[in-house]
Amino acid sequence: MSNLKRLNVNPCKMCMPIGAAIAFKGIEESMLLMHGSQGCSTYMRRHMSTHYEEPIDIASSSIDEEGTVYGGEENLRQGLKNLIKLYSPKVIGVVTTCLAETIGEDINRIVVDFKKKNDVKDISIITVSTPGYGGSQFEGYYLTLRKIIEQLAESSGYKSSKVNVIAASLSPAEIREIKKILDLFDLEYTMLPDISRTLAVPFTEDYSKIPPGGTTVSEIKKMGDADFTIEFGDLVDSSLSTAVYLKNEFEIPAYRLPIPIGLKNTDKFINILAEISGKKIPQSLKEERGRLIDTMIDSHKYNGEGRAAIFGDPEMIYAVSSICQENGIDPVIMATGTDLDIFEKKLKELTAETRVNNLIFSDTDFEEIRNYVNEYDINIMIGNSDGAFIEEKDGVPLIRVGFPIHDRVGASRQQNIGYQGSNNFLDQITNQLLALKHNNYRKDLYKEYYQSNNDKKTSQKPEELKVGEK
Amino acid sequence: MKNNNAGIEDVLDEVLQSYPAKSMKNRKEHILVKEKKKGKHKIKANTRTIPGIITNRGCAYAGCRGVVLGPLKDVVQLVHGPIGCSYYAWGMRRHQGMAAEGGKNFINYTFSTDMQDSDVVFGGERKLKEAIKEAVEIFNPSTIMITATCPVGLIGDDINSIARQAEEEYGIKVMAFNCEGYKGVSQSAGHHIANNNIMSDLVGIEDKELEHKYPINLMGEYNIGGDAFEIERILDKIGYDIVASFSGNGTADQIKYSHEADLNLVQCHRSINYIAEMFEEKYGIPWLKVNFLGVDATIKSLRNMAEYFDDPELKERTEKVIAEELAQIDGPLNRYKELFEGKTAFLFVGGSRAHHYQNVFKRIGIETVVAGYEFGHRDDYEGREVIPDIEMTADDRNIPELEVTKDDKKYKMRISETKKKELQQKMPLDYYEGMIKEMEDGSIVIDDLNHHEHIKLTEALEPDIFCSGIKDKYTSHKMGIFSKQLHSYDYSGPYAGFKGHLQFAEDIAAGILNPSWSYINPPWKDNVELKGTIGGVK
Repeated sequence: MSNLKRLNVNPCKMCMPIGAAIAFKGIEESMLLMHGSQGCSTYMRRHMSTHYEEPIDIASSSIDEEGTVYGGEENLRQGLKNLIKLYSPKVIGVVTTCLAETIGEDINRIVVDFKKKNDVKDISIITVSTPGYGGSQFEGYYLTLRKIIEQLAESSGYKSSKVNVIAASLSPAEIREIKKILDLFDLEYTMLPDISRTLAVPFTEDYSKIPPGGTTVSEIKKMGDADFTIEFGDLVDSSLSTAVYLKNEFEIPAYRLPIPIGLKNTDKFINILAEISGKKIPQSLKEERGRLIDTMIDSHKYNGEGRAAIFGDPEMIYAVSSICQENGIDPVIMATGTDLDIFEKKLKELTAETRVNNLIFSDTDFEEIRNYVNEYDINIMIGNSDGAFIEEKDGVPLIRVGFPIHDRVGASRQQNIGYQGSNNFLDQITNQLLALKHNNYRKDLYKEYYQSNNDKKTSQKPEELKVGEK
Repeated sequence: MKNNNAGIEDVLDEVLQSYPAKSMKNRKEHILVKEKKKGKHKIKANTRTIPGIITNRGCAYAGCRGVVLGPLKDVVQLVHGPIGCSYYAWGMRRHQGMAAEGGKNFINYTFSTDMQDSDVVFGGERKLKEAIKEAVEIFNPSTIMITATCPVGLIGDDINSIARQAEEEYGIKVMAFNCEGYKGVSQSAGHHIANNNIMSDLVGIEDKELEHKYPINLMGEYNIGGDAFEIERILDKIGYDIVASFSGNGTADQIKYSHEADLNLVQCHRSINYIAEMFEEKYGIPWLKVNFLGVDATIKSLRNMAEYFDDPELKERTEKVIAEELAQIDGPLNRYKELFEGKTAFLFVGGSRAHHYQNVFKRIGIETVVAGYEFGHRDDYEGREVIPDIEMTADDRNIPELEVTKDDKKYKMRISETKKKELQQKMPLDYYEGMIKEMEDGSIVIDDLNHHEHIKLTEALEPDIFCSGIKDKYTSHKMGIFSKQLHSYDYSGPYAGFKGHLQFAEDIAAGILNPSWSYINPPWKDNVELKGTIGGVK
């Protein structure tokens, strides 16, 4: 961070356990237990509920002051017992919080002991160490997926023709879209995690305490036999990458891709599917692609005026910056709260050919983003709802993508990926730019031709933009 | 709603049967059925949450930073800890705040030291000091409040001495709150910790000559959805002057001289009764339990206030304002009452709202069949008379009790002991009667409701309205039951006072009368009789 080195003002990141929670919500018949103070699970349930508009039930071991002295083992045991009796889950995720990590709880040992003493055989209990001070939700999410695989995936000795798909933190509708595309290539696959139903549960007359859907344990176990792995996580460190683990452990070839938002990113994804399936690209996808290009051409004159600030999760920023870049919307500011070395490098490469020098920040906060939004005449922001404060105070419109979206409905239905999703997403951005024009052009013309020179808005774009200092 | 009065004990049995033996025994004591002829009711409350049951409770930090301190507009809320705690408490409670002219408003901000691995290992004190420095340089606040998160207490960062040093160095108020998440059994511990420090470090540090005739403090009102704005409007119309608000739409600067008031109004007893009590001890200001949610409760509260100040002119103005306000809403409210008559509500909120909203519902024809608090204590259920009987637990003892004594210079007896005794016959002065006394026979009282119990009770009682927060809102929706959030008001409000009651009734109508509910039964379900055999083929 450049100015505020010690003080984080309005964070542009969350903590590791919430990433873990999102990942576990895509596992079939699973429940999650956070080992620590109960405030953590309550806060995270609250944030995930507003985003997905679904019940998010996460248990806590509710460690109290006594537990901080004598250890939280008894709480964890009792928590597991109650959870099993009340929910009969097939999978339980046990993740740590700051408290459990600081007092040095050994969740692996406790869980092994617990299973032995209580003769637990049919429940997979997966442990993940996610101290809140150990990283952001971004790391928490990918680490959890990797731990699930490390603790469950096996090799039977026989190769299957299946494809492992390691999903980024996308919306349930987007996961459904990826599955649809995979189906078009007749590929058999395992989607991990699969939140397409669990976090977007259709209304039925029978409410079930654990939402239906999700990746099954038996599928996960077989992921060690797969033919290929596709991982949506181009910026993910290899130590957190499930694809890398599967490659090292089971020699499964890995494709690590950006989220398929925009033409280039979707092309990458589709070409790989064509390659590994040995099938031609279906006509329907070709047409979708053609329509996207048609839109790009038709809308370019409006998009050319876009000066965007893009923030949120690193992987999402990369994908959104990519669609902006290929449509002439200058991604002037790209900023994440996550502290990620590769972020600057990857985004520099991506935007090397844009006309402006871009400001790229990791480990930043919204106070800094806000300052630059105002300094660099940004006319559109694309990111999660936390930018709403800037929208409200400074009047710069915000297109809401990523997590969390807590001041609008529909986050779980948002579909911005693939050719068709990208097309809709692009329209949304273009329309916002058009709205700015329509709302302001009379005022601007008046200022230009009728107002005295003194009253004219004097601010002009800086001649040369500084490269973001880190 | 199902007519289940006879079978309520069976329902509760079924709820409890699902638990392992140890948990069943525990939960049993947190649930009761109101029975008038039984006289006193005893409930277990404010005890440790059972691990693994999906409680709705939060932590001490949430109660301190989020609830009591959060609404103070002019304060930089500096959270010492990893990023999550600061992030999750950022603007989430919908407490509104309008900056006074020239005053600062940090309501839209949250500040964090963003502790990393290395800070947990080597200590975060240096980082905290630098963060304070930066906050002073950039935001120039008159008050900074440092709140501790779980790791802080464990690694032993001394936030108190850092606060003292910073206070000297920068000449502003810097306060530290040891509200680590693991303290106590719920957010209630955090309320207590916040109360203690506000009392010891903030109240009474400045004196001010007040020109007010009826100076009052508003306590335990958090301005969710603008409730405090509406309450302030009514009080202003009658002629009261609010010295300080603890803490909705309030400021630390006002709290500094809040000991100059003549009466403390307590809205949420649970979160603020500690301060109210200490005010009386130290400065001689009595407190009056009020409730501005619901027309009937509001009228009663306003009349009690006028009676306390015992000024005929004030009483007259009070009646005039009541009549004026009532005239605007009485008719529409009566129409809503006809519309809602016979409907039932399930309330599970906080430490006071599950009680406060019962009169709101009653006035519009809705009966409360289940009510419970997330973090209430026995006195919030049974009344303050039960306090001497409450057993102290180890968790209670871990929250320091602040001992205050009479401040000889600033103590001023507001009313005589005789007068006080006389008033106490008529109104809840220094007293809260608790929730249970007001409830109807056969209704269920439940403490620390969890996901499983919510589902079971909803299935058994089929209430028309479920009122809680976001965490169980969607569970209710999935079960086909209308839900109204009483924590955040679902982006609506204000619900306080007279107009607020009407707003609430309108929102309830918009909710339960919405056509979407009529589509939740699929058409094929209603046409079962069409199933049959055609030409012998099923």
